[in-house]
Amino acid sequence: MSDAREAMLGRIRQGLARNREFLAHEALAAPHAPPPFVHPEHDADLADLFATELRKLAAHAHLCADHDAARATLRDILGAAGVHLALTWALPALAFPGLDDDLAAIGVERRDVAIAPTAAERAAELRALEPAAACISGVDALIAESATIVVLGGAGRPRLASLLAPLYIAIARRDQVVRGLGQAIAQLQQRAAPDLFAERSSLTFITGPSRTADIEMTLALGVHGPRDVHVIIYG
Amino acid sequence: MATQSIAFHDRVDRALDNRSLQTALGRATDRFVTNRANALALVDDFDDLRARGRAIRASALAQLDDVLVRLSERIEARGGQVFWAADGNAARRYIVDLARTRAVRTIVKSKSMASEEIHLNDALEAAAFTVVETDLGEYIIQLAGETPSHIIAPCIHKTREEISTLFQDHLGMPATDDIPTMTRTARGALRQQFLQADMGISGVNFGVADAGAVVVVENEGNARLTTTAPRIHVAVMGIERVCERLEDLGVLLQLLARSATGQKLSVYTSILSGPRRADEPDGPDEFHLILLDNGRSQIIGGDYAEALLCIRCGACLNACPVYQSIGGHAYGGVYSGPIGAILTPLLQPELRDVHKLPQASSLCGACQSACPVKIAIPDMLLRLRADAVAAGRTDAIERIAMAGWSQAMRSPTLYRVGGKLASLGTRLLAREGRIGWLPPPLDQWTHQRDFPPFAPRSFTELWAERQRRAAGDGR
Ligand code: SF4
Repeated sequence: MSDAREAMLGRIRQGLARNREFLAHEALAAPHAPPPFVHPEHDADLADLFATELRKLAAHAHLCADHDAARATLRDILGAAGVHLALTWALPALAFPGLDDDLAAIGVERRDVAIAPTAAERAAELRALEPAAACISGVDALIAESATIVVLGGAGRPRLASLLAPLYIAIARRDQVVRGLGQAIAQLQQRAAPDLFAERSSLTFITGPSRTADIEMTLALGVHGPRDVHVIIYG
Repeated sequence: MATQSIAFHDRVDRALDNRSLQTALGRATDRFVTNRANALALVDDFDDLRARGRAIRASALAQLDDVLVRLSERIEARGGQVFWAADGNAARRYIVDLARTRAVRTIVKSKSMASEEIHLNDALEAAAFTVVETDLGEYIIQLAGETPSHIIAPCIHKTREEISTLFQDHLGMPATDDIPTMTRTARGALRQQFLQADMGISGVNFGVADAGAVVVVENEGNARLTTTAPRIHVAVMGIERVCERLEDLGVLLQLLARSATGQKLSVYTSILSGPRRADEPDGPDEFHLILLDNGRSQIIGGDYAEALLCIRCGACLNACPVYQSIGGHAYGGVYSGPIGAILTPLLQPELRDVHKLPQASSLCGACQSACPVKIAIPDMLLRLRADAVAAGRTDAIERIAMAGWSQAMRSPTLYRVGGKLASLGTRLLAREGRIGWLPPPLDQWTHQRDFPPFAPRSFTELWAERQRRAAGDGR
């Protein structure tokens, strides 16, 4: 196997002996640093900008004055959708006090995700989670100009809690909104230096509801992932 | 349907005769082009972003040996496994063996051009595994037993009625051509596959060396499910699809989404680094990265190395007047459109007529202006044509015609007489200024495109007259 590796590297080096100069020259033709954001800056509040962009994607933004208002909004969304079972991040990871009480009060069962490694247990656990009508996660950042939700994996942060159910609710604080993708990546790396993936296997950007235009270029939402996306921003 | 076994000209003929294909292609490519233009208009300085994207990709390729070593070492340090596949055969064997030793039954796949390129599904099915494509378009194509016709929209050539019939036959859907109903039907059927699948196979948009991660970009969520639900994730990546740092994604993802579909970012970007960690609640327990060479290490040392900068956005397809008329299948290979006309002869040289693909271009330059990494596609197509001529891979008629041309160019008299005859002849044949038919063997040209009549007076004549007039003006 390491033979195959050495042979491939050998072939690449042989090729590069001829073209490395051309490629290196192209590499120097422009800076590599990502711009912090790409749309012209205007002074709209970033949370407002996020909300405007999210609504353009047929998703819902809720700007709440404080934590209590956010709790009420969450109860309303779940109540209106008639949710009985919700997958969520673990409570410490969510850091949204009152969630357990609120869910109990409106008759929503909350499930943590814990997938076992064996094939049979994995399939059984997935089957048990699949009927959930909602999933709820926190966020690691919101990107205003593209209306993107940024979520890191890790302990207590199942990937399925932003993926499996038809309704997805992300809960964010106002100070988590940044303007652009470049900024968001720089901030994540700084926070988790030196190695963003030391303790997690995933970083996910979510921009609006699951969608497809595969049939006659006609937009259809919720093909595999959530169809209804709500972002609650408070504080 | 083995499109590859049919001659290129016949594939083109079929496409040009297919009215519903023409309508679908026109509609879809128009939409892509408009969406892209709208998205670009919002960006402060898109050309600056393109320049950065090109530099980032060129930099990664210039150090490809080093970049791949870094990427593979990081992934192994995180508990992932890396397989260096010299060709499609090696990659197929590794994945089939892996599926066997892990007692896999069902495999779900999200879109991967690299695995199409090496016919991975055929190998897995031959080994008796159930393989399910989960991207809606790819799933439809799989049910129909066809191959994708567009990088971004694989079933762009199918009408809703055709798809409805497929779903009625295969999934027991009641008769309807309501698109939301069809989408829901597919979702339900595919959900069951995700829950029971043992292995998920995905493509890779970018490998990020210093992060030890692969990036998978999509809109549906099927790639997230493919890389999360099954206990084994296999990512198949062409070795050129790399960048050095996570920051590079701040440029590349923006270019990709805007160029491909006009979105600011695609709906889902999954950046995945090895198997799940011990305390993570979900994700695969095994992670395998296949580094697929399959001819790429030859390209990087050749005259077409620049083609490896491609980020597979599909913008050049949508911009191309030839692609708009003939669609992806006519190109015969996995990669279609202008970039496919370059990549297919290099990556799938075994296919029939591949040397003719560079002819499927009017060299109008629309592809290069659309390309987010500014690949000089028309220039490369021209050079590929010259290569084909130099290698003697041309038709007899073309060779005779070119020999005649060469004679005429060397004899002014012959040239003038020939020009006169052509001018007279073509004007006799023209209807409303276009020629739809030329006598054999020239009908090879007019069979698929019109030919303009020669100007009634040649440039030489006009020039001589102009000189005479200038002289007559005195002074
Ligand atoms: S050649 Fe350029 S425009 Fe065409 S698919 Fe590749 S990156 Fe996109």
